[in-house]
Amino acid sequence: MSIVTVQLGQCGNQIGFEVFDALFMDSQCSQGFCSKRENEAYQASCRERFFREENGVPIARAVLVDMEPKVINQILSKAAQPGRWKYGQHACFCQKQGSGNNWAYGYSVHGPKHEESIMSLIQKEVEKCDSLSGFFIIMSIAGGTGSGLGAFLTQRLQDHYSNALKMNQIIWPYGTGEVIVQNYNSILTLSHLYRSSEALLVHENDTIHKICAKLMNIKQISFRDINQVLAHQLGSVFQPTYSAEGSFHYRRNPLGDLMENLVPHPEFKMLGVRNIPQMSENSLAYSTFTWVGLLKHLRQMLISNAKMEEGIDWQVRPSLPRLPPLNKLSLNREQHFNTSLANLVILRGKDVQNANLEGFKDPALYTSWLRPADALSVWKTSRAFNRYERSAALVSNSQFFVRPLDTIVGKAWNMFASKAYIHQYTKFGIEEEDFLDSFTLLEQVIASYCNL
Amino acid sequence: MGRRRRQVREEASAWAAAGTRTLPDAIAALSRSLPAGPSPEIFRRAKFDRPEAAPELWRLLFRVLSPLLADRAAASPGLGAQACWVKAVLCYHGYPRSALAQLPEDGSQGSRELLLALSWLLARGPLLEWLLAQTCVQLGDQVPTFEYEVLAIPRLAAPQMDAEGPVDIRHLQWLMGKLHFRWQNLISIQQEQCALLSKGSAVLSRGCFFLPAAIGDRSVPSRACHFADGMEGPAALCHTPQIHTYTFGCHSDQNLGHLSVTETETLRDPEGSQQLLQVLEQENARLEAALEWRRYELVFWQWMDTVLGACPPEDPSVPSFQPRIPEHGRGKLELVARELQALKEELQVLQKLLHEEVLSRRQAWETRVGALGHGPEWSTSRQDLQQAVEQELLALQQSWKQDRYPSLPRRRHRLVKIEAGAAGAQGLPVAEVIRGLKSQEASLEVVLCQLQGQCRQELARLVGTMPGLIWILPPGR
Repeated sequence: MSIVTVQLGQCGNQIGFEVFDALFMDSQCSQGFCSKRENEAYQASCRERFFREENGVPIARAVLVDMEPKVINQILSKAAQPGRWKYGQHACFCQKQGSGNNWAYGYSVHGPKHEESIMSLIQKEVEKCDSLSGFFIIMSIAGGTGSGLGAFLTQRLQDHYSNALKMNQIIWPYGTGEVIVQNYNSILTLSHLYRSSEALLVHENDTIHKICAKLMNIKQISFRDINQVLAHQLGSVFQPTYSAEGSFHYRRNPLGDLMENLVPHPEFKMLGVRNIPQMSENSLAYSTFTWVGLLKHLRQMLISNAKMEEGIDWQVRPSLPRLPPLNKLSLNREQHFNTSLANLVILRGKDVQNANLEGFKDPALYTSWLRPADALSVWKTSRAFNRYERSAALVSNSQFFVRPLDTIVGKAWNMFASKAYIHQYTKFGIEEEDFLDSFTLLEQVIASYCNL
Repeated sequence: MGRRRRQVREEASAWAAAGTRTLPDAIAALSRSLPAGPSPEIFRRAKFDRPEAAPELWRLLFRVLSPLLADRAAASPGLGAQACWVKAVLCYHGYPRSALAQLPEDGSQGSRELLLALSWLLARGPLLEWLLAQTCVQLGDQVPTFEYEVLAIPRLAAPQMDAEGPVDIRHLQWLMGKLHFRWQNLISIQQEQCALLSKGSAVLSRGCFFLPAAIGDRSVPSRACHFADGMEGPAALCHTPQIHTYTFGCHSDQNLGHLSVTETETLRDPEGSQQLLQVLEQENARLEAALEWRRYELVFWQWMDTVLGACPPEDPSVPSFQPRIPEHGRGKLELVARELQALKEELQVLQKLLHEEVLSRRQAWETRVGALGHGPEWSTSRQDLQQAVEQELLALQQSWKQDRYPSLPRRRHRLVKIEAGAAGAQGLPVAEVIRGLKSQEASLEVVLCQLQGQCRQELARLVGTMPGLIWILPPGR
């Protein structure tokens, strides 16, 4: 089953390119630490999901949308290099004028105006799939085009393709923002997506920036570096895995399976990704890993809400079941504990069948109303990912984003209380009631996650 | 114990004797037609409730009751879980013997009960046919409709969850969401299958070919091949796009017109066809065994009678179905039971009261009616009156017949307008009718007067019999 990717705005297009490149390069990589036949099956499965073929050249199943031509032209020329994959000839939609970081402009002006052309591009791409699993929509939440138009298009996709799933890959802005109204844009995007999308896969710019600095040892961090790390994380989630324990067939509907495992509840749709190991190519050659070590770190990253393997707080422990906290200290500690709703652990590489996941089956990790058997799922493949002999990724529906979300909502509310910049939005038909609706919905989401 | 062993030995020799030679045959045929059926010896041991036969029979029943579940060998649950499942499904189907429900769940005992359960399943419906249909090799392409029956079977994990403590609504919402996603997945798989099987000529220009013989293209892209190897059913299917289009006209059956996926696959891959042949042969063997079983079935049932005779009779006081009651529910249940008992007693008292009340009312009414002249003279006068009326009626009828115009027809007649003097006209002349009716009216009026007079007389007489009553006579005419 295939996934159609919709790349929106500057951010979405740049990331989209890196994601396809990472998927393609990994599937072409001969260093899979597995048999030739297995490698072929892996490649075939990856192709089916993300690429189609035209005259022997892999074509990304993607639609590119931006209101400015600059970025799209850049990535088209990059993708046109020989010996690689390409974008479809008629898969782009761009205009001359951007949205000026105004969510309302993207949502209320660009959206309705270009709806027909964009939807027909998507329709054409969908028709080229033997079967459509769903849409992967890459966008930022803080800008104008990606976020405003993205929210609009996600709603239209929901109307037009009610049986297809929609996962929005959203980029959380830097805390020290570039755009003054980024918090407004963010709450509007998040609240609209919460109504029309099945899952929000969140990546924080701050987190990935830190990974680049600390783990990859990059001195001058560019957007490209950040996007490559992000693409690596996404690849480690969406590259093929076996459909069941003991099976050697590859999973057919990763998007559907992921959603069934992680986001069945309509109030909990925020997913975070953690992966391990992550390092520069130079260090990779001199490193070895064991499943025990990797999983121990990954588990601690989960429960202590660490963004990467460096600087994990090892003091955080799950509380003993059914024992009230004895003193203030343990209460404090509990507050740092990151409770999960559901987790998906993805393991790739050598001896994957021997990896022991008991640590993730502890009921103390999860909310009281789900048993670990329901809340934890594991995907495996013995094919190594991106030259890492062993690697693990975690997609978690947990309290990861309670604090960032609370911060954004708080900042936006402070601005809203003083009515700052509201006229920029009312000018294009986004009224104060729309803001209030968004605040209400997101406060509800925060409360739901806090009460896990 | 010694006696029992002797019994077993006797049975074994009887088993081998010429007279019962068809019994092992019958059982062997049965077991060959079942999926992974045990040897006839297991059946024989089960008759004597030998524990060593139990595990295999539990497994057999598990397979019989859930062929689709059991075929996924990787996910096959342990013997305990299988036993639990078998009990649950038998209970769900209404299996009447309580002895089965009381068997330990480790699957170590109860071979005779299991044998009885198996034969109960066999006797109650077309079990074999159903099993064979479930595991039948599909040569053609089929798009299944949703099988609600399968959905209705309780899931293995279900028993652990029932009402232990309050259920969090979020858990239900979670399950609902999960169901929703599964449903969507199912729909998209079905759409994929439909789309792939009947793709039109619009897609002829692209994609991989499958059938070198039909296309005349030897360089079949290997893409299709490794897909078929490395992926499961629907995946293999997804790279068979134009099968129905490309193989159009290839099938020997003109009605079908094209080859199915399986047929095309056998043409493409001769080694695979060997496997298919094997599977078909296995299926054939099972079908043959099923036919043979039908011939010897009677012997088996006779033997089952002896098995039934060998087991102790069931205590009828034990209800055949015992729902499991969660511990914490017991207290509540007792309360409800006591309340029910109290209500029942109250109801009985009320019924008794009602009965007495009805009786007394009836008696009172009867005495009152009797006082009103319900005596013997009343009934004779009534009889006289009836006789008189009957005689009168008879007389009337006769006079009616005599008086009647001979030509006056009894049937209904259409109202027709006829020209005066029209010869041979059908129908009644109006004047005649009027004349006839007038004479009837006159005679009827005479009778009416007579009757009225009689009635007055009778009423006057009745007034005399009932002193408390005042009669207001109708005005005489």
